Amino acid sequence: MEKPFLVMEKAKKKIKIHKFSEKVKGVPSYLKDWALTFRGGVTILCLVVFFLFPLITQNVFYLQVIILCLIYSIFAGSWDLLAGYTGKVSFGHAIFFGISAYAYSAFTKFNNFSWWLSLIIGIIYALVLGFLIGIVCLRLKGPYLALGTMTIGLLFQNLFKMGPLKPLLWGDEGIPNVPTLSPNSVVVYYTILIIMVISFIIMIQITKSDMGTIFKSIRDDETGSEASGINTTKYKIIAFMISAAFAGLAGGFFAMYNRSVNPLIYQPLYSFMVLIMTALGGIATISGSILGAFTWVILSQILEELHTLDIAANPILDAFTTPAFVFSIMLILIIRFVSEGILSKALEKLKEGWDILLGR
Amino acid sequence: MGVILEVKNLTKKYGGLTAVNDFSFEIKRGEFVGLIGPNGAGKTTVFNLISGFETPTSGRIRFDGVDITGWKPFKIVNQGIARTFQLVRSFKFLSLLDNISVPSLSKRGKEVSRKLGTDQYASSILASVGLVDKARIPPIILPHGDLRKLQIGKAIGTNPELLLLDEPFSGLSYEEKLVITDLIKRLHDDGVTIFITGHVLRELMALVPRVIAMHMGKFIVEGPPKEVANNKIVLEAYLGRGEAFA
Repeated sequence: MEKPFLVMEKAKKKIKIHKFSEKVKGVPSYLKDWALTFRGGVTILCLVVFFLFPLITQNVFYLQVIILCLIYSIFAGSWDLLAGYTGKVSFGHAIFFGISAYAYSAFTKFNNFSWWLSLIIGIIYALVLGFLIGIVCLRLKGPYLALGTMTIGLLFQNLFKMGPLKPLLWGDEGIPNVPTLSPNSVVVYYTILIIMVISFIIMIQITKSDMGTIFKSIRDDETGSEASGINTTKYKIIAFMISAAFAGLAGGFFAMYNRSVNPLIYQPLYSFMVLIMTALGGIATISGSILGAFTWVILSQILEELHTLDIAANPILDAFTTPAFVFSIMLILIIRFVSEGILSKALEKLKEGWDILLGR
Repeated sequence: MGVILEVKNLTKKYGGLTAVNDFSFEIKRGEFVGLIGPNGAGKTTVFNLISGFETPTSGRIRFDGVDITGWKPFKIVNQGIARTFQLVRSFKFLSLLDNISVPSLSKRGKEVSRKLGTDQYASSILASVGLVDKARIPPIILPHGDLRKLQIGKAIGTNPELLLLDEPFSGLSYEEKLVITDLIKRLHDDGVTIFITGHVLRELMALVPRVIAMHMGKFIVEGPPKEVANNKIVLEAYLGRGEAFA
């Protein structure tokens, strides 16, 4: 039997919640319902923390780290939208990331376009490239698609490196001194945060829409989807283009953050990086990639800091703290024990704890 | 009662093997036709050719007066031919409701589902195949019998005029077979033309008024089930030549 005290507490809470939802006028009821669910609450809490972060610290280094996290979140989310929902694994997502980064750099630096216009141009470049590569590569299935996209990534890296093409593609050095949108890190932070939140809302809404259902049906059974009267080729290309557009958005921001761009942006590392981030957070969750990106960036920063300390002198410790080693071990453990990713597992545990705390 | 499906001189060759050989038949609107033949006779290949999953080496397929030879599968579905598969296929990680939503989001399915709303339309189909209480469950944990029902539900979702059922009874228990039989009969009563395959004669014979028999990719005979079952070539195809036993 429940203690009367707890019952009273619960009753009070219910009344409170009721009043709270009554008070907030002008907000659609489904949004209120969502905010009162556990997931909604956690999301809102995270958003509040993000928006208040610059009030806690104005340290440029910390802000820069979080900005990189946000950029990589969009990048990983875009990969998850393609791989997690249509099952088309791309190992060449750096192509879209890179082409947009180049477009952004070139248009802001040489044409003096404003940052948002260059960003939009970068996204359009990525969209068109996504369409072209989609048409070619989506005929390939499974591992062949992965290899095909990876090859195109390598092709781009070497194409942009080539000496003879230097007047056209800026060669090995790429484009240095790319203008940023504002010298103030806080302004950059808020701009990127707002755009990141909007793009995640869009991506999540896409996965929940009818189109998202079709994407998932293609992932689960492409033949069956075709037999259900769905033009799978069309939807695969649409998915490729949407994913490329968001990767392009991230790429533009990355050029802005990095202040320079060179052919190394097409290297497979960037393509595999998103894969690892998404796998960490949880494939086919979209929001899991945020957690993955934060884990990746912050952990690499910590490991880098460790190397500047004295332990770097010890060769064994040095080897064990290299990012590649740590992430490989992490990935193996996650694939073995939490194949659905850490996000859903963490939320589950958090909910259990929350329920115990409330005495449910 | 016009002709809804007209297959003429259909041939499919895989290298040196001729799976379907100069196969011709007609199905009238509202008919209930069976396609029988022993294992490996080419029944599934005929279905794959009609539904566009394979392109014929030669021959024509006309549906409702339109030549659909060589069309892509989704276009054929949107023209009004839905099919089920011999081995069950489902969208494993989607709920049953979403499984049915996919066909109702196709071009043809939308014409019907738009009025009701996709969810409402999908759950009405789930109700008609008897799975409405499992709407939120993904098919990965469902028993085989329910998956067969789901397959038929997915085919209905596209609002077909002609339904191709490829071995809808395989792997089912007696009771489950009765349920599926009842479902197919109801569909036929609703005016859907049904073309069904099977290699177990007894099941089909009780169900269909007309059967087409094929063997080694060739048309043998068509007619009422009793006549076909007593046809000498059909018996030989199923049982082997009489001389062989002598």
